[in-house]
Amino acid sequence: MSKSFGDVWIFGDYRDYFQNRITLQLIAKGKDLAEMLNTGTTVVLLGEQVHQYAMEYVAHGANTVMVAEHPKLKEYEVETYTTLLSQWVKSYRPEIFIAGATSFGREFFPRLAKRLRTGLSADCVDLEVDPKSLLLVQTTPAFGGELLAEVVTPDRRPQMATVHPGVFRELPHNSEAVGRIIYPDVDVFPEPRVKVIRSRPPIKGKVSLEDASVVIAGGMGLRSKEQFELLYELAELLEGEVGATRPAILSGWADEERLLGQTGKSVKAKLVISIGTSGALQFTTGIQGAETVIAINRDPDAPVFRIVDLGLVADAAAVLPILIETLRRRL
Amino acid sequence: MIKYRESKISAHHNYLVNDMLTPGFVVGEPDKQGGFYFLADKVLAGESMPRISCRLLEEGSGNLLVELNWNRIQSNPKACIHQSIPGGFQILLSSGNVLLEVQTQAFANGYLTRIKARLYDEKGFLRIEPLGDSIKVHDAEKPVLDSPFSFSP
Repeated sequence: MSKSFGDVWIFGDYRDYFQNRITLQLIAKGKDLAEMLNTGTTVVLLGEQVHQYAMEYVAHGANTVMVAEHPKLKEYEVETYTTLLSQWVKSYRPEIFIAGATSFGREFFPRLAKRLRTGLSADCVDLEVDPKSLLLVQTTPAFGGELLAEVVTPDRRPQMATVHPGVFRELPHNSEAVGRIIYPDVDVFPEPRVKVIRSRPPIKGKVSLEDASVVIAGGMGLRSKEQFELLYELAELLEGEVGATRPAILSGWADEERLLGQTGKSVKAKLVISIGTSGALQFTTGIQGAETVIAINRDPDAPVFRIVDLGLVADAAAVLPILIETLRRRL
Repeated sequence: MIKYRESKISAHHNYLVNDMLTPGFVVGEPDKQGGFYFLADKVLAGESMPRISCRLLEEGSGNLLVELNWNRIQSNPKACIHQSIPGGFQILLSSGNVLLEVQTQAFANGYLTRIKARLYDEKGFLRIEPLGDSIKVHDAEKPVLDSPFSFSP
């Protein structure tokens, strides 16, 4: 007799929805995982007046949306969310439960896993169901990003993971989709120990790496801030944005908001040109969602060449001005 | 298992009924001659207006007040008034009281219609009443429409 599995659950993180696409990316991946397990995809959604998000999640592929609508859920409150979701998990028994590795997911998902006495892999860069064991294989950077570890949770349920934004692609919006919506009774809330006085969005600059279709990424191979600043000229010519590796940022060549990789941003650009970057894993996890990656590095053995579509072995500092000048003439 | 309520949900347009989203619903019997019914029909992708058809009766007497077909008055023996409001319309009794209000909220990629009404059937039973900013439907069964309703030929 074949084993039957609970649904694949996805936490509906709708704050800053039209920029934050992580839930939609997870729905797409959740569908793949659910298909392997012959089960469904459910998005859990907590808040007040969240109707439009429920509809969006169905449009992007969710089979079911499980909704708690209540004024007490209007503000994110970790104890309330943890208590409510642990009750739901115990009641509905999902096989897998995933959330985005956003500030939101990173705060409450470990608490939820602890409450449920199950494992959690943080900041995963890939998820697959092993076809033999049917366990969720959670790929996550380990040892400071030097290794990619494959983690499984053989005994405890649900199998839980947070996923780095940008590593999966969302499905297109389908207005004709119809799903199922469930409203579990929610009338018991813990008395919160934190009172939200006011919330306001962070002041944002103009950098929008996640939405850029072209990203020029620079690393220490550029050798100076002056050379690094040429990347902005190249980005302007290609109507793109500039990203940077951690060492480049630590050298003061760019602001933290331009950080690409494991602890920074992940891009899903059409084109990434990576210039003077060695290709350390903690950096390449941020660009692996790009459609095409071109790298320029003088070291032919640089790890970056293992992941690129086109590689140029050259001194980045020498090539960059030529590239800019050539593009200037042609564009 | 935690108790729950459930419905279908459309990615494009839903009505808010009994505090739940639903692509469409019907109360009463649309095909029964002269009888009460209220049909909030499935709205197809690409359309932005709800599809309300109904036969509304006077409380107590059960006499026909007004009949709507796809949001338009079809039969109006009691001289009800159709009045546009932002995002929808109202049906007013000749006294000026609101009999029915239908209002649609546009989201970035979809629509939500809220209905307000207190409606009785021909036997004088309350079938629909206000609930918060929408309605509660009194029916043992609440047929959910996930495809457009078909009237009998």
